[in-house]
Amino acid sequence: MSARPDIRLTGVSKSFGAAQRSVEAVASVDLTLAGGQMTALVGPSGCGKSTLLRLIAGLDTPSTGTITIGDETPDTLRQRAGLAVAFQDPALLPWRTVESNVALGRALARRPRDPDLVRDLIARVGLSGFEQRRPAELSGGMRQRAAIARALAGEPDLLLLDEPFAAVDALTRDRLNAELPPLWEARGATSVLVTHSVAEAVRLSDRILVLTPRPASVAADIPVPLPHPRDAAVLASDAYRDLCAKVTDALRDHQFPENLAAQ
Amino acid sequence: MTMGDATAPEGPAAQARAKLLPKGVGLLLALAAWEAVARITAGGFVIAAPSEIAFYIGANTGLLLRALGTTLWSAAQGFVWGNLAGVLLALVAVLAPRSERLLSTLALLIFCLPLVATGPILRVLYGPGTGPQVTLAALAVYYTTFLPVLVGLRAAPRGWFDLVRSYGRSRWTEMFQVRLPAALPYVVAGLQIAAPAAFLGAMVGEFTGAERGLGVLTVRALRALDLPATWSIAAIAAGVSMLAFAGVGALGRRLDLAPPEVLLAPPTDTRRRAWSGIAEALLAAAVTLTVWKGSMELFALPRFFAKRPEDVWAYLVTSPGAEAQRARLFGALGETLALAGPGYLAGLVLGAGLAMGLTLRPRLAGAVIPVSIALRSIPIVATAPLIVWALGRGATGTIAVVATMIFFPTLIACQHGLARTPRAVLDLFDVYATGSLRRLASAQLPAMLPAFFASARMAIPAAILAVTTAEWLATGRGIGALMATVASTSDYGMLWSAIALIGLAAVLAHALVVALERIVLSRTSAEQLAR
Ligand SMILES: Nc1ncnc2c1ncn2[C@@H]1O[C@H](COP(=O)(O)OP(=O)(O)OP(=O)(O)O)[C@@H](O)[C@H]1O
Ligand SMILES: [Mg+2]
Repeated sequence: MSARPDIRLTGVSKSFGAAQRSVEAVASVDLTLAGGQMTALVGPSGCGKSTLLRLIAGLDTPSTGTITIGDETPDTLRQRAGLAVAFQDPALLPWRTVESNVALGRALARRPRDPDLVRDLIARVGLSGFEQRRPAELSGGMRQRAAIARALAGEPDLLLLDEPFAAVDALTRDRLNAELPPLWEARGATSVLVTHSVAEAVRLSDRILVLTPRPASVAADIPVPLPHPRDAAVLASDAYRDLCAKVTDALRDHQFPENLAAQ
Repeated sequence: MTMGDATAPEGPAAQARAKLLPKGVGLLLALAAWEAVARITAGGFVIAAPSEIAFYIGANTGLLLRALGTTLWSAAQGFVWGNLAGVLLALVAVLAPRSERLLSTLALLIFCLPLVATGPILRVLYGPGTGPQVTLAALAVYYTTFLPVLVGLRAAPRGWFDLVRSYGRSRWTEMFQVRLPAALPYVVAGLQIAAPAAFLGAMVGEFTGAERGLGVLTVRALRALDLPATWSIAAIAAGVSMLAFAGVGALGRRLDLAPPEVLLAPPTDTRRRAWSGIAEALLAAAVTLTVWKGSMELFALPRFFAKRPEDVWAYLVTSPGAEAQRARLFGALGETLALAGPGYLAGLVLGAGLAMGLTLRPRLAGAVIPVSIALRSIPIVATAPLIVWALGRGATGTIAVVATMIFFPTLIACQHGLARTPRAVLDLFDVYATGSLRRLASAQLPAMLPAFFASARMAIPAAILAVTTAEWLATGRGIGALMATVASTSDYGMLWSAIALIGLAAVLAHALVVALERIVLSRTSAEQLAR
């Protein structure tokens, strides 16, 4: 069974804090993310990407507006364990080994134990040989990779990735960009990826949303009509390069408009 | 140094032996000095020489062993019950967060009940047997387990809870996957403090008319002014306590648990309106009075010794002799506070001061800290008579007892807090080659403050215990002695009035420290308050 739920946001906004000193993180957003697609969110640091992701996951509730995933609310989706999140801060449990942390992603999703899958995932994120290590013995990037493996272990219908490769070196990142997509593409999961890398956004996603500085709203909506799998030929193509340039331009246009206005 | 390396035999065992050797020499020197001082001051009846202690223990091995066994068994039972209660209370407070403040207040109040008074009352309740010892041992430990476990159950970062929630799992999953494992090191820390405390509680329980046990022997030795016996029992109690403390610590290391991040965190919620504080205080007062009266009625305790709240009111306010009784009670309390206050402050200041001084002399810290940890575990009951004997029955002796009781826990907690200064912050100061004083003032002191205030709060019941015990066993003054006297003459109106007054004083002192803590921490470490 692989559901391909659409994500629908209507008039969603989010503010933090009490009335007078409140911080608006997400301004009124209307969006539909097509089922089975990977959507990338790019935007300046602190613009509200993580907040948007937490709203979709139902970990925070929007101040206004509604979010539906397929015909469910984020809450019901979570209740039936159809969701997995790879958090920006990996949140590995320090008393569990890498293997047991990854297996936890299955246990929490109430899926039957599957040691082979767990071992395979650990191998795919390049952590073979570290199965029995504790998180404290891993580097920042290794922890992030373990967190990705944990998110994938639950075989979710909706996969949310918050800067999953931020602390990983360029070469490893390149390898993960090549090896991991088949895992979610095969299941047809809907996924949302937050990233600061334009090249990564273009390479992995079917659609890119460029967000404005805080409060986040959609500045540019750029489809990525490149064929899958995105092999070396695709990455060498002019279409790929043009898309990268387009996204970079959109980002530049919307960087720091407040500062410009203030001067 | 390098020469020694070249000639010294290799291997960890050899190194350990090389380390042990100077320690052994130091111990021998200390014993020799002790012996000499004891011989010189032999006329003063203060210090028993090690040889006398050894001789006494040798001559009375059987008696001491049997007494030790009895006390240990009571302490072990109290240890189990008290810790169980502490952990359960913390679980309830976490599962029903709205009950937490009330629970904490009641827990503090019960913990502050002076053993001097509860001992005789429990003796009347239970009659002969080990009931009072076990109960007092449990009462002596549940609070010091409750506090760290409560902190531990909450000590997980938000990301871990988000993880569980992102799979739509319940609070039970959260409890079993996140909170309980995260709290385990805190449980061990609590148990470690509890081990010697349970022993102390059992000994105090035995002071109040038990048939057997080290407490009974202590009272007998004190009455007979038998110096070697008193010192021998104190030495045994100290040794057992250190062993228990070290044993639980070793168990914790065996379990491969990281030591907890914070020893004890300050109270939780940030912004509270004045009226909600007053409302909570009123609620706590109402619940306290209800529990007090309700439990006595429920068990139909005879009014002659189980005085209800209204009896205490009548005793102090409306009855014919009220004025004289009030004068006597408040006079004794004043006498006690005049000693407990300075002792409390001295213990806190010296403990925090030494902890800070040691960061400037890290080499010295390596020698001082292990000794302090060992001394911290010695039950004050065993040392109080000795300190008072040494310093006299005047103010100095009692103040010293209180200060000693508070000094070691404060030193260790502050040391722990100082060590929590983030590595990156220290690196920053190192990058600019800042002087160590400057670094202490601007980076380490703020990191120490939460631990300092936590120990200031914990020190309130400790000060009450120390001062009342010293007054009871040694000086014969103040409210401790008053309670002992009226307990023996069955003047239960005065006894319950004293208990109520001490409870009130403790809660007020606690509120004062918490208020001070809020003001200071909101400036230096707001994140400790925001939870
Ligand atoms: N729990 C919170 N309380 C108060 N403000 C918050 C909270 N979470 C986020 N914010 C604020 O909302 C804004 C957006 O934060 P968010 O974490 O979503 O940014 P981001 O786009 O993910 O940034 P980055 O790329 O640096 O991770 C920030 O200004 C932040 O200060
Ligand atoms: Mg973010």
